[in-house]
Amino acid sequence: MIHMNAKIVGIGTTFLVALIFAAVVVAPQHLNPEVHQFSENYRKRTDLEERGRDLYMRYGCQYCHSQYIRTVDWGLGAERLAEAGDYAADTAPQLGSLRNGPDLSQEGGEHTDDWHAAHFYNPRWTRPESFMPPFPYLEEGEMNALIAYVQSLGGRLADQRTARQWKWRKQAIAAYEKNADANIEWLHQHVPQGWLEVPNPYPITEVSRLRGATIYQRHCLGCHGPVGDGQGPAVAFIYPPPLNFTTLRRHGIEGGATGGMLYYQIMNGITGTAMPYFKRELESEKIWDVSNYVAEQFIGIVDANAEPRGIDAAFEPIDSSPKKGD
Amino acid sequence: MPNVVNILLPKEPGSASRRFFLSAAIWLFVGVFVALLAALGFVAPDLLPAHPMLSFGRLRPTHINIVVFGFLLSAYFGGFMYVVPKVCRTELFAERLANFAVWFWNAVVLGILYALPHGYTQGREYAENPWIIDIAILLAVLVLLILVFGTIIKRQEKLLYVSVWYIAGGLMWTFFVYAVGNVVWEPSSGSWTGMSDQILLWFYGHNVVGLVITPQAVALAYYILPRATGRPLYSHTLSLVGFWALIVMYTHTGTHHLLQAPVPQWLKVISIVNSIALLIPVFAFLTNVWMTARGHLDRVFESAGAKFVFTGTVWYFLTCLQGPFHSLPAVQKVTHFTQWVVAHAHMALLGFAGSIAIGGIYFILPQVTGRKLYSEKLADYHFWLTLVGGIGIFISLTIGGLLQGEAWANGEVVYRVLSELRVYFIVRGMSGVLILVGALLFIYNVLMTLLAKPSTAADEQPAEAIAKGVTA
Repeated sequence: MIHMNAKIVGIGTTFLVALIFAAVVVAPQHLNPEVHQFSENYRKRTDLEERGRDLYMRYGCQYCHSQYIRTVDWGLGAERLAEAGDYAADTAPQLGSLRNGPDLSQEGGEHTDDWHAAHFYNPRWTRPESFMPPFPYLEEGEMNALIAYVQSLGGRLADQRTARQWKWRKQAIAAYEKNADANIEWLHQHVPQGWLEVPNPYPITEVSRLRGATIYQRHCLGCHGPVGDGQGPAVAFIYPPPLNFTTLRRHGIEGGATGGMLYYQIMNGITGTAMPYFKRELESEKIWDVSNYVAEQFIGIVDANAEPRGIDAAFEPIDSSPKKGD
Repeated sequence: MPNVVNILLPKEPGSASRRFFLSAAIWLFVGVFVALLAALGFVAPDLLPAHPMLSFGRLRPTHINIVVFGFLLSAYFGGFMYVVPKVCRTELFAERLANFAVWFWNAVVLGILYALPHGYTQGREYAENPWIIDIAILLAVLVLLILVFGTIIKRQEKLLYVSVWYIAGGLMWTFFVYAVGNVVWEPSSGSWTGMSDQILLWFYGHNVVGLVITPQAVALAYYILPRATGRPLYSHTLSLVGFWALIVMYTHTGTHHLLQAPVPQWLKVISIVNSIALLIPVFAFLTNVWMTARGHLDRVFESAGAKFVFTGTVWYFLTCLQGPFHSLPAVQKVTHFTQWVVAHAHMALLGFAGSIAIGGIYFILPQVTGRKLYSEKLADYHFWLTLVGGIGIFISLTIGGLLQGEAWANGEVVYRVLSELRVYFIVRGMSGVLILVGALLFIYNVLMTLLAKPSTAADEQPAEAIAKGVTA
């Protein structure tokens, strides 16, 4: 029978633990020095961004937001896989282990600063289904630092996106400040001509209207408001403010086609403004449904199922005859 | 003055144990209450006033550190202050010092309760505590080491029982793992740089469970189950296998938390292989204590304490089957980053470690007070509240996690799945209420047992009676 004594139990085992620690924690530093070489995407953070990172740690953001993109990811930032060199300069890299919210490693430049301000003040204002805690108590300096840090996430790729946002932002503000006509004209300029002429290929049915309303409530309400007048709660922070859909009624809807235009803007977002893209989170039918919903409820010009629309889809209701041209 | 010293630092045997037990019960309530505030935020994020201390990012580290350091470790420390002298057939070395440890440890936990809600954190998951608290914890562990080894050295019993291996070894590893895991030689950041830091962090994070908590919980089970059934331990050989395999396997597994992160591939392979190999120490231990209790479960179920401990071993079985399973890359592809992992953590720390901590207190409290437990019935209610609550948390979060994981794998973004989770978060919160009610019963029961009038003079010196082998 093997007898254990105090020396074996206390010192012997601890020596073993230390040995394994050397093998699995210390050795990789020397066997894999490449993990400490900066990636091509790496850039140094500014002082303000560092202050923001400090706040990110102090507010425990990492407990809901991870900061690395995996091969299996489809969501925010999924275009670029994480590399060890992205974190080479960080103490306590904020990798995170849980996603109650999206991964933020490539968040920089995905949203504008005003979107972030509204979102921090109350996350429900931009994302109605979110259960992130609200941060209305952030002082202005703290808010700015935190936003600067979030915008730095994603390194040089994020800088590119942010620069693009600011470039278009100037034009967006100029167009908005000129007048409503100029604003709508500017907005329509970004939609390729083909899309402007495409009517919504799907009819409005009782159920598609319900689906459209659900999508609107879950994704659009915070900014565009319950009646589509652009007076959602987030409006206090957002400039240029969210579009009042009724203004579209008077502008640029030649031939009555709203479907393609709305679809394109929802899918692609409007760079430079707080309007994000929804290409990742809404499938095709959902965008068409919410487009119909906005067109019918707020604009009052409906082109659902209008010509030209190609061959009827096999599942269309029998009575969904085109509005014109037959 | 000496009177004050005697009140604060009595040398009466069992006094430190009792105080640690009461502390553990109170900290369990605090830890669970913090968790409930956090759970509420998942269901109604604007219900509570907007305040930094009430935000999830502050509540979560507070919850974890309070339950680990306040509840679990206090319970284990109180437990070993009875178990080690008992199996060494002697009295605890320096009872006054042990009582000092009680005060010091509670001061440390109060420090955690102040620092983390105020945002004083090193921003490393499970290693959040600021440097000054790290140092205090290490000092406390040093004191505990003196107590344990002091007792071992003056022992009357030649053979070291397996519980003592785990308690003494576990404290040594705690000191080592805590010191390196928190990078205490870097007071400003408490961190290394780059991915190396995360490899270190998860070596630490996983070993908080494997080398800090598990040994103490296993030690209690090794003591209580043979004692409750009145059977000698089934196998000395299995004890040895389980003990050494635990040290070797557990220490390698940390990187399985980083399988999808950019860390060296060979390290991932090692962590997966050892995660599977963890089944060896787990089954060595379980076979050992279950074979000991085999045919005598009626005696286990006679006392709420032993029942809690036995249930803890069943949770251990489940959590240690799940752990190796989801360290496989093919499984993690779906489960990583989801609530599945949170469910697993609760099975380990609430189900396994928590049940044994509570059971240890219920079982040992009569021994160190010389009185019967105030109410076995209340303890039984506590048992069912904790069991049903624990199962509720586990099942709801596991379902939620699978919903998330499958949806993400299908290309849905995080935001789209949130509304699907709400019902599971409600169930989770309600399960938490059960556990909180149980914790209240726990405090009441422990307090009433401590306040009860001693019935005979012999009860004043329980440890002496115990040292003579007289069982209470």
